[in-house]
Parts: sequence; C-alpha cells; structure tokens
Amino acid sequence: MNNKSIQLHELMLARGTFFCYAGPLSEQVLTSISAVVREQLTDAQTDLSIKNTVFSIFIEQAQNIIRYSGARLEGSGVGSVSISHTDSGFMLESVNEISLADKERVEQVLRELKEMDASELKSAYRQRIKSGPPRGSVGAGLGFIEVARRSSSFDYSFEQRENKTLFLYRGWVAAAKASAFSS
Amino acid sequence: MIIPATSRTPEVTFTAEGCTIKGECYPEDISEFSAPIIKHLDNDLTESNPYSVEIELYYFNSSSAKFFFDLFESLDESAAVNKQLKVIWKYREEDDTMLDAGEEFQEDLQNLKFSLEALV
Repeated sequence: MNNKSIQLHELMLARGTFFCYAGPLSEQVLTSISAVVREQLTDAQTDLSIKNTVFSIFIEQAQNIIRYSGARLEGSGVGSVSISHTDSGFMLESVNEISLADKERVEQVLRELKEMDASELKSAYRQRIKSGPPRGSVGAGLGFIEVARRSSSFDYSFEQRENKTLFLYRGWVAAAKASAFSS
Repeated sequence: MIIPATSRTPEVTFTAEGCTIKGECYPEDISEFSAPIIKHLDNDLTESNPYSVEIELYYFNSSSAKFFFDLFESLDESAAVNKQLKVIWKYREEDDTMLDAGEEFQEDLQNLKFSLEALV
C-alpha cells in the first residue's frame, strides 16, 4: 500500500503532472478545482493566450466527464483529469468509462476532426454553432471541435477493461517555457 | 440593475442605454444564466433607442459560445431596424484567444455595429 503511494507520487512528478483529479466529477466539484487550476496556471505561465487555451481544454474535458462518463455516481460522472508539463508546453488528459454507443459516436467525431486542417475546423465549428447541438448532446456540441481548434494537437484511444471501455483523450498546448517547477 | 458575478458567470449590468457583461463565463447551466439577459433585452431594446452592449470576457466555454452567437444573431436582426444599436467587444490586448473570438463573432453580422476594443 505504502509502496503504491510512493509510486503514484513518483509517477506524477516524473510526468510533470501538477494537477490531477480522479473520482466523481460534478459541476460543484468543477467550480472548486477550476479555481485551483487557474491558480496553478498563473504560477506556471504568464502568456494570457496560452493560459486561456490550457484552461479551456481543461474545462471542456472536465465537462465531458460530468455529462457523458459511462460511470455515474449520484449525478456525477466518474473519471480523471490531469494537467502536466512537457518539454514543449502542457499536456491535458482525461480518462473515463464510455458506453459502446457513445464510443462509436465519439470515435467517428474525433476521427473526422483529426483529419481536418485549421480552416476545415473553423467551418466545422461555425456550422455546428449555427445549427445547434446534435441529438444526445447536453451542451452545444462544440467541445470536441473547440479542443481540436485550440490544442496544438490531440489524440484519443479506447481501452477494453473486462466488461468496460475506457476513453483516453489528450490535448497538447505548445508553450515556450513551461515552468521553473518542471526543470 | 446588476446581476453579480459568480465564480463561473460574469457580472451583468443593465441600464436604459445598454448592458455590460464582464468576467468569465462557463456556467453549469447556460440557459439559467442567459434567460434574464434575453428578457431584459426584449424589454429595453426598442426600434430606435440608442443601445450599447459591452462585452468584456476573459474566458467562455463552448456552451456559452453558442449563447453569444445566438445573442449577436438576434441583435443583428434588431439592428436592421434600430441603427443606434451597437456591440463593443473588449479584450485584454495580450489575449489573442479573446480577440480571435470577437473577430469570429463579427464575421457573420450584416447590420450590427460590432467593434473590437483592446484593453491596455
């Protein structure tokens, strides 16, 4: 048990992870942790645009979990969100269970977005904002497009774990110098 | 009349001449936030009164983007009749994300005066 605690500590430090939340995520929890993330980003980064970009990907990933995670607990979506320093800036990750139906939909959307260049992403965004959310969407249906547009790059994968599927979703934000902390 | 800011919603101020929205916008429920704004605009905005909507946002999420897009679309329609209606989009000079957002909102408008103003 102790060993695992040390491993977790070492793993997070080795990966440059300066923020991580795992567990039930509700809008109330998001209010609290987003204040923490804001604070940490203020320490880590002075460029307002980069700070805003990292923050916005974090919010979209967190709200994804709240709204769509396949694992639920009293209205909360269970999952994890983390932010790490990398050599080239920041990496934002989210992991949550996903139903098979959602997996197919999400996989198709993300596959299409990954193929698009900046101007195609812009028109996809404008089309979606005009037409309104697709069926089954709780928000505006813009979250994935927003992350694709704002991140320097993103990727995703699905992992089968016994009778459930986990969805890993990552976005990177380039920044010249991440922090003195990550040296 | 003032709707105070919360940690996730901007402060909204209404006067007879306009409305100011200032802060961050990523509410739990966007329609709860937007309903009083739409109601006020419906009441205060006539076919000819001078009216200015000032927006100073530091961050908004994608659900809020949809609200602002719809808001500007509706103001654009009103501006076909009311020539004294305008929007001022204020952004912190060093924040390109909010400048880009303002420019994109600006693109679709036909009638509405929509100006971008850098805060130094």
